[in-house]
Amino acid sequence: MPKLIIDDISVAVPEGTKVIEAAEQVGIHIPRFCYHPALGSVGACRVCAVKFLQGPFKGVQMSCMIEAADGMVVSTTDPEAVDFRRHVIEWLMINHPHDCPVCDEGGHCLLQDMTVSGGHGMRRYQGKKRTYLDQDLGPLVQHEMNRCIQCYRCSRFYQEYAGYRDLGVMGIASRVYYGRFGPGTLKSPFSGNLIDICPTGVYTDRPSRYKGRRWDYERTPSVCIHCCLGCRITVNVRYREVVRIEARYSPTVNGHFICDRGRYGFFYASSDRRPRKARSGGAETRPKNARDEAAHRLEEITARHGSGSVAVVGGSRSTLETLAAERRICRQLGWQGPSLFTGTEESAAARRAAGHLTTDLAVSLEALKNADLILVAGADPINEAPMAALAIRQAARNGAHIEVIDPRPVTLPLEYVHRPAGTDKISEILRGLGKPSTEDASGDIQDLAARLDQSRRPVVVCGAGKIASERTVEQAARLARNLRRAGKKAGLFFVMTGANTFAACRMAGDPADLETLLLMIEDGKVRALVVVEADPMSEYPDLARLVDALAKLDLMVVLDCIDTETARAAHVFFPTQTFFETGGTLINNEARIQQARPAFAGGTPISQTGGGSHPPRVFRDDIPGTEALSAGQLLMDIVSALSGGISRSVEEFDGVAPEFSGFDPVEATGERGTWAKLPLRTAAGPDSPQMGGETPIKKGELLLVESVYGTEALSRSSPWLQELESEPALTLHPEDASRWGLQHGDRCELSTEAGALTVPVHTSRSTAPGTLVLPRHRRLRWQVFQHFRSGLDTVRIRKTGGEGA
Amino acid sequence: MIPEPTLSHLKDRIAAADHPRELVVDVMFALQEHYGYLSDEAVETTGALLGMSPLQVEELATFYTFLYREPVGRYVIHLCDSVICWLDGAESLRDHLCRKLKIEMGRTTPDGLFTLLPVCCIGYCDRSPAMLVNRKVYGPLTPEKVDELLEKLKQESE
Repeated sequence: MPKLIIDDISVAVPEGTKVIEAAEQVGIHIPRFCYHPALGSVGACRVCAVKFLQGPFKGVQMSCMIEAADGMVVSTTDPEAVDFRRHVIEWLMINHPHDCPVCDEGGHCLLQDMTVSGGHGMRRYQGKKRTYLDQDLGPLVQHEMNRCIQCYRCSRFYQEYAGYRDLGVMGIASRVYYGRFGPGTLKSPFSGNLIDICPTGVYTDRPSRYKGRRWDYERTPSVCIHCCLGCRITVNVRYREVVRIEARYSPTVNGHFICDRGRYGFFYASSDRRPRKARSGGAETRPKNARDEAAHRLEEITARHGSGSVAVVGGSRSTLETLAAERRICRQLGWQGPSLFTGTEESAAARRAAGHLTTDLAVSLEALKNADLILVAGADPINEAPMAALAIRQAARNGAHIEVIDPRPVTLPLEYVHRPAGTDKISEILRGLGKPSTEDASGDIQDLAARLDQSRRPVVVCGAGKIASERTVEQAARLARNLRRAGKKAGLFFVMTGANTFAACRMAGDPADLETLLLMIEDGKVRALVVVEADPMSEYPDLARLVDALAKLDLMVVLDCIDTETARAAHVFFPTQTFFETGGTLINNEARIQQARPAFAGGTPISQTGGGSHPPRVFRDDIPGTEALSAGQLLMDIVSALSGGISRSVEEFDGVAPEFSGFDPVEATGERGTWAKLPLRTAAGPDSPQMGGETPIKKGELLLVESVYGTEALSRSSPWLQELESEPALTLHPEDASRWGLQHGDRCELSTEAGALTVPVHTSRSTAPGTLVLPRHRRLRWQVFQHFRSGLDTVRIRKTGGEGA
Repeated sequence: MIPEPTLSHLKDRIAAADHPRELVVDVMFALQEHYGYLSDEAVETTGALLGMSPLQVEELATFYTFLYREPVGRYVIHLCDSVICWLDGAESLRDHLCRKLKIEMGRTTPDGLFTLLPVCCIGYCDRSPAMLVNRKVYGPLTPEKVDELLEKLKQESE
């Protein structure tokens, strides 16, 4: 541990620490533009100059380029260093436009801060400034090259850190230009991070242009709810409108960055299509009337058919508080559910995953970066949990071997080995690898088995939901555990289906899934449904059956913050608050409990109440559009209106589930709201019939999969992300395609007894033979295939367009 | 379109290389040879041949002085723009060239004969002020010698 003195403060730091980082440890923030903790040093901007008074270096040097060494005495305040930095800033400002008043970065601009703090208040340069033509980089990022100070952060992040190749640095000397080969939408799903890392206003947030300055916003730390990872974000609200999401640094979860789905998926929260009024029988009504109506009809139904005739359907975008309320209500009133999963297999896989995740095996995104071998099984990181792909890339950059076993044409921004295997084969491969002796491994996986044997920090990344089966989950867990037994620092990382799936696994009741519940509705056993923040009509794969079942119900009550088909079909509908308004607790895929505070009080944005002009000059004692309550609170209100109902606070967790007795999310997560992890013990439960062995796929299989944009329930309504969606297509192996006379670029009709849809055909050799891949895209009526994994014996494929059609 | 022999020759060389990317400058020069300058199509072809994105090729293409991303004249004059030549009057020579050709630095004469570009030290400090015309070095130069050379090149081109 080298020991050095910085500004008269002595500090010991680990070997290899740069002086700029050492200074940070004692609270000295040396100015920087090009240096970024996630990107490292390049020494491009020259503004981190400090003076070395003693030790191996002498004089003014760049603190980001020099490693701390014993005996160093460093001064950041030496007049020579201060003068050097002042000149660097003046020099960078020579070409920088003086447009701070109209620049979207103004107010949170590093260059602005440095210029002011560096003392450069008077322009001496009288010549012409260098100017550029800007490029259209798509709907998310606004380009303004004139402001560039050539720090290279953007191209380093975009190409080196994130692994995409369509933005970089061109030219030389005074013609250096950061941009694309030609104007066009950025291809990286991490492009929004350019906005955060650019130290000035070259890349600014496009959707929030002209909405306000940083100091105008209500800024609140929060957690992203667009996938299972739970990245930390900062929510920016102005005039009752969520206007911008920024990445918030988290040392264990997302580091410095977030994905574009997380950054731009928030549109639903302030959309003018968001339901703000309760409805009864399709007509708007006052919340109290709706509540009385719901309670009255629920009471009638339970009086006639017993308490088991009411069921609660929920989902994984609800907070832990809401899920706990659902569970407590179901238990105490004898209702069915809560059914928190769509299908039986999905529920079994997810719950087995949650059961297997023990504290020693669960790894964070940060730990994933330090793995030396990552085996991805039955997961498609870039589409299901984008930031996981970014973490895997960092592992690969550190030399890790990455291998993917998945039927889908998985693409990752890194070098990896892909074994396209059918969903029925993944668990077999994992089982072969998991055997104590690798000699048992069959021929083609011997290489991988040997690599696993040599690895020291292997991590198994496994899907746990609609595609990877329960057996795959089981084998992944066994493999990880065996590796740990073999003395390796092995980890297990499940990619789950929703933001709060882990909590849903613990809170799901009986039946745990909608598929089983449907049987009970069809039998006439369940007569009323309370649907909480879920949209079965666009999530369930067999719409025809669902619609028939729902038609049998005497009552459907829906609580949701977005306008969904299910909400429109409800007898009684209640608007709920979004996560931005309620805050609450989420448990991410590694069982990390994260708490978010409410970001604002809700209400209809002023841009809508005022129609773009001044808000209405009407006095009222409430905020317009704030009838909505949190889903958990609403549930409690409805239930307490029942005679013999329960009236307890939503925040109480006693008696909900064993792990949560006495659970206090605020206490559990501490002041910073993120560090605690749920105490875990293996609770995998008994083997289900499927655990005996996979049913082999006979004629082939059609998978309904997630894609980065267009499938996730909340972000798919974002107009900015909709612009980035590629047309949803059927992907299959070219040899399979020729079976149906199909070629890449053709169009084909997929039909079942329940309906048909037409999509373009994409062929890819990295798709497993026998597997057809179709996104559960908002633009497709995919709810005709009955299962997320359906055998091809029920699907007809017909060419409808293309050559020779 | 690149003629098939050129293309297959390049493909052979790329196939034989340990790291195809190390040939990127060679490929760009070969395509520039064909098109007369490095066209957008040539950048895209280079990328396709070497498994690089057009942007990654562009990053290099715009860095190097002797790769021309715009059409150039028949004679490309690179006037040395470094310290030794400055000491020996490169700047007045530059003014002379601009006057004579009636173009600014970086431009091509309307008849398409001459393109005038600066270049960083070309290593002919012993013959300063020096310049390259289609990669052939001339120097030490005087305005008279420049006039003579331009005249000669004009006649050759007729």
